[in-house]
Amino acid sequence: MKKILLSIFATLMVGLLPASLSAQTGDVLIKNATVMTATRGTLENTDILIRDGKISRIGRNLSAGANARVIDATGKYVTPGIIDAHSHTMMNAVNEGSLSVTSMTRIRDVLNPSDIAIYRGLAGGVTAALLLHGSANAIGGQSSSVKLKYGRPVEEYLIAGAPEGIKFAMGENPKRSSQTFTGGQTPRYPRTRMGVLEVMRDAFVRAQDYKRSWDDYRAKKTRVMPRRDMELEPIVEILEGKRLVHAHGYRSDEQLNLLQLAEEFGFKIGTLQHGLEAYKFAPEIAKHGAGVSIFVDSWSYKLEAYDSIPYNAYILWKNGVNVSINSDSNERMRRLNLDAAKVMKYGGVPEQDALKMITLNPAIQLGIGNRTGSIDLNKDADIVIWSEHPFSPYSHAEVTMIEGVVYFDRAGDIARRDAMAKEREALEKLEVNRAPGSGGTLPRIPTERLRGDIDHGDVDGGHR
Amino acid sequence: MKVKFFLFAIAAIGLCSVTTAFGQSYAITNARIVTVSGATIERGTVVVRDGLIESVGANVNAPADAKVFDGNGLTVYPGFFDTLSSLGLQPPQPRPAGTGQQATPEPTTSNYPVGFRPEDMAADSIRVGEDQFEAARNAGFTSILTVGRTGIFNGRSAIINLAGDAASAMVVKSPAAIHISFATIPGTYPGSLLGMFSATRQMFHDAKRHQELIKMYDADPRGIRRPPADRSLEALLPALDRTVPVVFNANTEIEIIRAIDFAKEFNLRLIIAGGQEAGKVIDRIKAADAAVLFSLNLPKRTTAASPDADPESLDLLRFRAEAPKAAGKLAAAGVKFAFQSGGMTNLTDFTASAGKAVEGGLNRDAAIRAMTLSGAEIFGINNRTGSIETGKIANLTVVRGDLFDKARTITHVFVDGKLFEPKAPPARPTGPGQGTGTGPGTATGLPAVAGNFSITIDIPGQALTGTMALVQQGPTLTGTLQTQLGTAQIREGKVTANGFEYATSVEFGGSAIDIFVRGKVAGNEISGTIDSPQGTVPFSGTRNP
Repeated sequence: MKKILLSIFATLMVGLLPASLSAQTGDVLIKNATVMTATRGTLENTDILIRDGKISRIGRNLSAGANARVIDATGKYVTPGIIDAHSHTMMNAVNEGSLSVTSMTRIRDVLNPSDIAIYRGLAGGVTAALLLHGSANAIGGQSSSVKLKYGRPVEEYLIAGAPEGIKFAMGENPKRSSQTFTGGQTPRYPRTRMGVLEVMRDAFVRAQDYKRSWDDYRAKKTRVMPRRDMELEPIVEILEGKRLVHAHGYRSDEQLNLLQLAEEFGFKIGTLQHGLEAYKFAPEIAKHGAGVSIFVDSWSYKLEAYDSIPYNAYILWKNGVNVSINSDSNERMRRLNLDAAKVMKYGGVPEQDALKMITLNPAIQLGIGNRTGSIDLNKDADIVIWSEHPFSPYSHAEVTMIEGVVYFDRAGDIARRDAMAKEREALEKLEVNRAPGSGGTLPRIPTERLRGDIDHGDVDGGHR
Repeated sequence: MKVKFFLFAIAAIGLCSVTTAFGQSYAITNARIVTVSGATIERGTVVVRDGLIESVGANVNAPADAKVFDGNGLTVYPGFFDTLSSLGLQPPQPRPAGTGQQATPEPTTSNYPVGFRPEDMAADSIRVGEDQFEAARNAGFTSILTVGRTGIFNGRSAIINLAGDAASAMVVKSPAAIHISFATIPGTYPGSLLGMFSATRQMFHDAKRHQELIKMYDADPRGIRRPPADRSLEALLPALDRTVPVVFNANTEIEIIRAIDFAKEFNLRLIIAGGQEAGKVIDRIKAADAAVLFSLNLPKRTTAASPDADPESLDLLRFRAEAPKAAGKLAAAGVKFAFQSGGMTNLTDFTASAGKAVEGGLNRDAAIRAMTLSGAEIFGINNRTGSIETGKIANLTVVRGDLFDKARTITHVFVDGKLFEPKAPPARPTGPGQGTGTGPGTATGLPAVAGNFSITIDIPGQALTGTMALVQQGPTLTGTLQTQLGTAQIREGKVTANGFEYATSVEFGGSAIDIFVRGKVAGNEISGTIDSPQGTVPFSGTRNP
């Protein structure tokens, strides 16, 4: 009997899912949860009412209209959606590595909304991410802030009104320490840390000149319209404080240099990315007002990444710096909740501040802290329901919703698997999907199956 | 040597006037005539004279001087038009060995790297001679749109008829369109998809400004520095004016969306080439008022089964199942579309592939139209070609049997009124150890290189293994290069007196890297070099049993 009921239920779920995803503009009521707000502590036996994609009420014994979807969260934990402040997911290209300044490139142009890594991120409770250009260049491309609305058209991923951003990079990657040159190739400028800084300074000076040329034209001091320069336009926006700089770097000396360079040109750095030595100059970072986005406990993967400690987050937090913990990896994106848990162990960051490091703090770093990142009234209903305390290794996300719409539903996923297996079976039988009887090319064999000794850190998609 | 070639060219041009169809008249009687523009004539006559259709109808009599063919059991169609091809073009100059980021730039008058020059004209590099089109004519084609396939700007295409010995006789329209691929320029900017967008966007912005500067300068040049004579930017002006369409090679859903977004940014007249996932974005294509050159090179699994490989993704399995249905969806939505061969190895598969689109829900008449008149309409030449009407260009394809059946026979092809009678293709030898297509290769005195080879690419410190599958058809080489980086399709492959060479792209670190492969086959051994932006590495291997 139970089995029959279950199968009927599963069938219903499969039938309902696409419809429920798209038509979910109605109210949602989460009942009787342990709510970790990220701003006002943990609320026991609490209900959350979601209306028009926003958190409309938080309290006990709330009721909703007859059409509301009610989710019983008794015994479950609710947190704000996780925000990954350093990601390269859903990108069809990461680096335009040809030039040292590629500010004209836009991550928006290469977004791939069908990347399965998005769905896997949702399954780890991630609802938003800062998608960054790679670190091959002193000045990289323009970033995109997205919510992981898997299944929706690409433009709906973009967070409307989120400030624009851009990637900067210092150190071994832009100076190309590990590149070997063959076939008469000559190295690209810059080759040193001082060269990297000079490339940045040069770009700012060029941007100032560029802006002046337009100011003169608009003031009718010149007759001929200047050329629109897609490289310098975003750099002018940086100087005007309209574009956040997210700067990849490891060593404290050069990151401090960058803060000073920004101060010289009159703007503030948005975030120092990675910042493995940020603990060494936490007061200076706090004074400047930059955020820091770190790996919680990953280091020693290259020379400039040696001098880190697991207390990095704690020391920064203690100094009043806005710290976030990022993944930089499709694989690690799925368990950022455990990374947050680690900062409680190393230094004893309080639970709420640890949670903030994967929710509200990255939201603030992305400039969207006023609309997401915590369970507060009138914020976007970007919410995760966890099976247990999210800092427990036994916990998993059961429901992940963005603006009140469910994008991951573990029960629904499990229920769909049978139907998907059947669909696969049918599709694989088709002539077009059958392997050629003879000949044919070899399929791609996953690296870990070719090499037994592989370090999985090498294949997790990280771009450190 | 050069003198000899020159003499030959003169001779060829001289011959051309002797063998052209002027004066000769043909009549096909008692045939079923699918005019496409009007009703089908179940039993009638088509008369061809001086390269044009002189008359067509049920009650037309064959002129006394005409060579008459009894068309009993035959169907006459307008000549098939492959709306995207690279036939007839000089192969691009191979890059010198060992080129990396420091490739010495060739002397040029362009401000842009090779592959980023919209001014390149396919019509300027059409090879002399009509024999090169024999295989295409045998498959029923009378016209193609031809353009290079490399680079981001593939250049400006030409629509040509597949007869005549010089470009001047072949070209029907040039330029037909500006062609853009989501590709990269190896070893320089733009070297990734990111840069492809930013560099192309900058160029269109520059072209817009160029347009305004020219206007200003023409009105009053005093006190203004003269605008540079930039051929690349000037080539884009008709695209900004919407007088010349822009073709984006876009096959997948996201590529189509990107093409639509880009075209919208600069108000371009968009044509999508490929379009096999168009079914997913019909509404956007309609809203963008874009036409589609639908690729009939329908996807099919080519990789061997392997217990070590992951199962193919559900998306990929669905894509292959859905692609034949896309044309039907385009038709149902009223999107203007025409068929193209999409680089298929064997052009005779074209009609059978169109048949799969018919099985997938496309109306038969619409399928025939997509092989004939639709393409002419998209490129604005439907007043002279694309259908069987009096006064139009005499491009006709005569078929015995059901057009969409694999067993159909192309009996006659008229190109610009010139008659070609396809011969049955020679049987392919299938001896042991010989891949398909070795026969034609050896027949032309070229080495036979076809086969499936296990290779090792000797990258210092990290040898890479893979499989090179080479398919040879005379001097043409197709196939795949498969490594841990994935499976890459061979482009611009050719067999030379010394071996073979081809270009391809591999995906690495999120970017497509263009490589150039050169090698030779001796018995069961294969060896050669691979040129990449990172340098040149040797490879070697053996034939798979």
